[in-house]
Parts: sequence; structure tokens; C-alpha cells
Amino acid sequence: MQNYASLLSQAQVERIHEASLEILESVGLLVRNEKARQIFAHHGLHVDHETEIVKFPRGIIEEFRAQFPPSFTFRGREWSFDRTIPGDSPLVLTGSSAPNIIDPVTGYERRATSDDLARISHLINQLPGYDVFSIATLADDAPPGQFSLSRFYPSIRNTVKPVRANTPPEEAEDMLRLVYMIAGSESAFRDHPFVTFHYCPVVSPLTMDFDSTELLLFFKEQGLPSYFSIVPNAGLTSPLTLVGTLAQNNAEFLAAAVLSQMIHPGSELIYSTLPTVADLRTGAYSPGAIETGILHMGCAQMARFYNIPSGGYIGLTNSKINDAQAGYETGMSVVAGYLGGVDILNMGGLLDALMAFDFAKAVIDNDIAMMLKRIRRGFEFHEEELSLDLIAEIGPGGMFADSDHTLERMRTTMYLTEIADREPREQWQESGASDAQAKAMRRVKDILTRDNPTEFSPEVDAKIRSEFVGMISGVSMPPEGWKRSTSTSSKGRETRQERRRRLRENAATN
Amino acid sequence: MSEEIDITKLETPELLELIQDDLYDGLADEVVASVNELLARDMTPSDVLNKGLVAGMEIVGFDFRDGILFVPEVLMAAKAMKAGMEILRPLLIETGATQIGTLVIGTVKGDIHDIGKNLVSMMMEGAGFNVINLGINTDVDAFLEAIEEHKPDILGMSAMLTTTMTYMAVVIEALEEKGIRDQLLVLVGGAPLNDAFAEEIRADAYCRDAAVGVETAKKLLAIRRGQPG
Repeated sequence: MQNYASLLSQAQVERIHEASLEILESVGLLVRNEKARQIFAHHGLHVDHETEIVKFPRGIIEEFRAQFPPSFTFRGREWSFDRTIPGDSPLVLTGSSAPNIIDPVTGYERRATSDDLARISHLINQLPGYDVFSIATLADDAPPGQFSLSRFYPSIRNTVKPVRANTPPEEAEDMLRLVYMIAGSESAFRDHPFVTFHYCPVVSPLTMDFDSTELLLFFKEQGLPSYFSIVPNAGLTSPLTLVGTLAQNNAEFLAAAVLSQMIHPGSELIYSTLPTVADLRTGAYSPGAIETGILHMGCAQMARFYNIPSGGYIGLTNSKINDAQAGYETGMSVVAGYLGGVDILNMGGLLDALMAFDFAKAVIDNDIAMMLKRIRRGFEFHEEELSLDLIAEIGPGGMFADSDHTLERMRTTMYLTEIADREPREQWQESGASDAQAKAMRRVKDILTRDNPTEFSPEVDAKIRSEFVGMISGVSMPPEGWKRSTSTSSKGRETRQERRRRLRENAATN
Repeated sequence: MSEEIDITKLETPELLELIQDDLYDGLADEVVASVNELLARDMTPSDVLNKGLVAGMEIVGFDFRDGILFVPEVLMAAKAMKAGMEILRPLLIETGATQIGTLVIGTVKGDIHDIGKNLVSMMMEGAGFNVINLGINTDVDAFLEAIEEHKPDILGMSAMLTTTMTYMAVVIEALEEKGIRDQLLVLVGGAPLNDAFAEEIRADAYCRDAAVGVETAKKLLAIRRGQPG
């Protein structure tokens, strides 16, 4: 049983719920998508066809709220990577859809391409902190008509973890054909849908758009895994108070959630958001601000009130480079959100308010992700873990370092950071005096100059290529200037164990 | 694990490999058994030491440096090494072979911090040194007495506090007064120390951690032994 940090009392949570019902009942939502208006009308909501305003009687909301299912599952190409929240929380995802990338060789920002996405997916596949690859960038080289396929194909090809994708309406059918082909058949995909679709159907304040709403309807009708995020920006698209923004955010969430239940009763939901406060010194969009963390804590409380998982974009940064600001903005918000009970965190790899992906940032975020997961493990309280016998045995003035007890736990009690440096100063200087960014880039290079073990078979690729003419390659190649590394197997323990095994076999046969 | 292996049936080169593997895995009883087996095959104590134990601990050292082995594993290996050395040491003395060396070590007077010093002791034992650990709160007289008795190659001193580290100078001055300073290497360590401090108190070297301590001890001792007279 987890205990979460709560900033709101139970009475305040209920008041926010009430307030959002009030907003939906008296103000309503502007619903631009006609099909959505028809569905709302069909279920007895007040639809003004002139103004396109839909008002939600509270009884109807409460009726559908009772159907909200308590969990959500992300599935991967490999089943062992399937993750269900809240049981497997916290799940760490990449941030998504950045138009740009910090070039791993030159260090300069440029447009991201499908080749970049292949590398990013490859990297995320190999970093244990990440649970889901939410397609991190756009693909500037996408051929006409393959905008989303050019993002999706390099992504799915290079990871066996769950992929979160989206697509414009005109490519939705192609997207399904592609995933069926990868799965082997439509039914194979439906048995284990390894893609989760995601949309932002609500444009704050209180407006449902055309396309994203259309796609939400499409994937819910298809019965395929999908969810949506609510994205208010306090001071610009919602009130400049945190509670006012929370209430409006909650109203917008309920409206879209009710719509999804109308199409597909009992379909899975995540109370997913990216709530921000605009920095009104300039109007800057500031998803790295601590208020995003605070708002997420509030959303998590609302989600617990509705008994559904929560989370979304948290731990982003406004920093342009992978510096201290990038680290403290990500770190502060995700700890706040995690302690507040957030189940999913789209936190990895992005700089500059979702504008650019940075490989080294993704590696550092992996360390942060692993630290969050270490918090989740907590104290692992067991009577025997109190180690009273050991304390007595070692006694005053003794040493724990050379006991079997310590040996058995030396790799598991502590999360052994990949990037955070713990060497004495001299040793650190001797090994190049690298900062976290430099160390993270070495890790990136180490991963991306090796073959990706999760590639598709050539047959599947050939089939896809004949079906989708002009499809980008999707192969993860090291960036120009980086040589493929030949595997350097450390001779340490493995050779020794192998030798021991051989000796024992010989002993057995003699 | 290796108790399934009948060591009497192994060829000697295989047995030397096995000792190295058993050291690596910190299996003291197995190391002792193999040392005895090799001695029974008339291998010289010096060869058992160098081709078996020292070679094995070198691998442990490399893998520790490379982050493959952790501190507790190295300490387990050091314990296994120590167990093997206890058999070999009297034989080495008997045959007049060169000893790896003897270390007298203690945390200086006024200081009761000894985890670091104990780690150094164990790692030095792991490298084959004969270690006399005087414990905590060691004053000049206790150091001098131990030096008199054990005739060490190296004196190690440890301090955790800036208020106690100055006592190291008192000990070194006492060695100088007795005219025995030059017979010993003096290595010092502890959180507040640095190279400059070691130089100032006329120690031979400051060692920032146990692994460096072992390296420094081996290196300086080799230099000293390589020098005539």
C-alpha cells in the first residue's frame, strides 16, 4: 500500500469535482467535431447546434464516471515489456513530438529526421529506466502522405517496449495496415496491441477540436489502446490560480473521458495532463516550472478520487542545453509528482519546452527514472531485513563490508547510478574530469555504435517496403563519424564461471 | 561449488587456474586445499605464492579497478588470500624466499575511526602482506613497540580528524629520534589528508584509498628493494 503526499484535503478534492461539474453544466464545452456533438446529443446532453456548445448534466457525468476502469495497460512487441498501471507505477516515458534534435556529433540544434528517431528508439530500448517509447521527435524527411508513418516505423522497428504514437486522420488507416503487417495479421495485433495511441482532443479553455477528437473517436471505436492528455496553460488558457486551473482541467478531462466511455464503455483511461503556468514576464511556456509538478499532484489526487491512473508530461525543462537547469527542473517536478502519486511520467530526453530532443538528456533522465523507481521500492520492510542478528554478530566497532549479508545485497540495496559521479576528486580528474553531459554522451555512443538486438526480420521489412512505397529506412545507424564498435566482452566473471563449469563437467565424466 | 571438483585429479596448471578462480570467488577453504595440494606436489612455496595466489589477486585487482568486482567481493578474496598466506608464510621464511612484506598499521592517538584503516589492512592482506593491525587510538609507544617486535617494511597511519592527523608527525619525529625512520616506509591516509600534508610531516606517501594504498606499498617497496644496500 502506497501513501501519497497530498496537497488537497478530501473536502477540497470533492469541491474541485463539484466545481468541474458546475463548469460542465453551466458553461459547457465548445465541441467543434460534429460526430462528437452527435454522440453527446444521442446520450441526452444539451447540444446547441448553432453555437456548438455542449452542456453536461451532472447526472450523466456521474453515470459514466461509474464505468471508469481502474487500470491501463501498455503493451510492447515483447510481452515481457507490457506494463499495467497503477500496479507497475511509476512508468517512465519519453517526452514526445519535438520538432528538433541536438545533433549528437556537432552539438547544434537542427530538424529531427527519421534516422534520428531510429537511433532514439534504439537508445530508449536499451535504457532500463524507460517503460514506454513515446515517439520523441518529428521526422523532417517524411515523404508526402507518410508524416506519421515516417515517425512510427523507425520507432517500432528499434524497440520491443510499448510505443506510444499518433497520426493525422488521413493516415490512420495506413497506420493500422502497417501495425497489422508488423504483427503478422490484424487479429495478432488485436490480441496484443503493441502500440498505444495518444491525442489532445481538448484545446483549453473548454474546446474540443476537429482532428484530435476525430482520432480519439476512431481509436476508441476500433477498441484499440488510446488515451488523451489535457493541456491547460494558467494565465493564458485557464485561470491564473492553481485551483482554478485544476478545476477547469478536471472539467475538460471529464468531458473527454465521458465521450470515450460513450463510444467504448469501460475503455481504459489515464488522467493524463500537461498543466502549466505561463511565465507572464514574457508569456513564456514553462513546463519545467515547479507549478507543473504541483498541478500534477492535484491531478493525481483527482484521479485517485475517480480511481483511475494518472500522470502525463512532467519533468520537462525550458533549458536549451543539458545543464544544471535541465537537471533541477526535471528532478524537482518528477519527485513532487511521484510522491503525489503520478503513475506515468513523460519526462525523458527533451529540452527547451518540448522543442528539442537531446540524447544525453535522455540518458541522464534514465538515471532519474531509476532513482524514482528506487523510491517506489522504498524500505522493503521485512522483519529479517532489520538485520538484528547481523548487528549483534558484527557488534560495536565491527565492519559490515566483508560479510556475506553485504555481499548478497551490494548490487540491489542501492541503485547504482550510471551517470552520477561518485569518485574521489583525484580519480575523477585522472579519468578525464567529465561532467554528467560528457559521461551521458559516452553512454549514448556506446549504445548507438552497437547493433540493435531488437530489429525486425528482413522478410517483414521487405513486405512493408513493398506495401508502403517510399518508406524511410528505419534502421538505427551510428551518426556519421561514429564507428561501429566491435563487442568487447569483459573476461571477468563469465570466463571464470565457464571454466568452473567445464571443470565440474570433466569431474562428472571422469 | 568447487567441492565437486576432485583437485587431486587436476593437472597442476589447471589447479593454479582453480586457485585463481577460487580467490576471485572468495572461497578461503578451497584456496587452502589447493595450496596444500600444490605443496604436496613439491611446488616451491614461492611458486605457489606467485603463480597461484599473487596471479589470482592481480585479476581481482584489475576487475575491481574496472568496476566488475565490488568492495565486499574484494574483501572476500582478500580473506581467501590471507588464509592461503597463513600456510605459505612460515614455509617462505623457512626457505629464505623474499617476503611480500610486513605492515604495522594503526589509527593514531585520539582517533577511534578505523573502518578505512581496516579496509586497508584487509586489502594489504589480500596483496599478501603480513599485517599487524594495532587498532584505534594508537600512541607513539605502541607504534614503536610494534615496530621493534615485528620489524615491518611499512608503517601505516590513519586519521579521520583534522585534530588527530597532526599526531602522525609526532610518530614520525619519534622514528627519526630513534634513528629508524629510514628503515621504514611510512604511508598515511584518511579523509582530511592530502599529498602536501604527507610531505610536510615527512611521510613517504599519502594514499587516498585502500586500493591506492596497496599499489603504493608495492611500488615503493619494489623501488626500495631494487636499490643497493
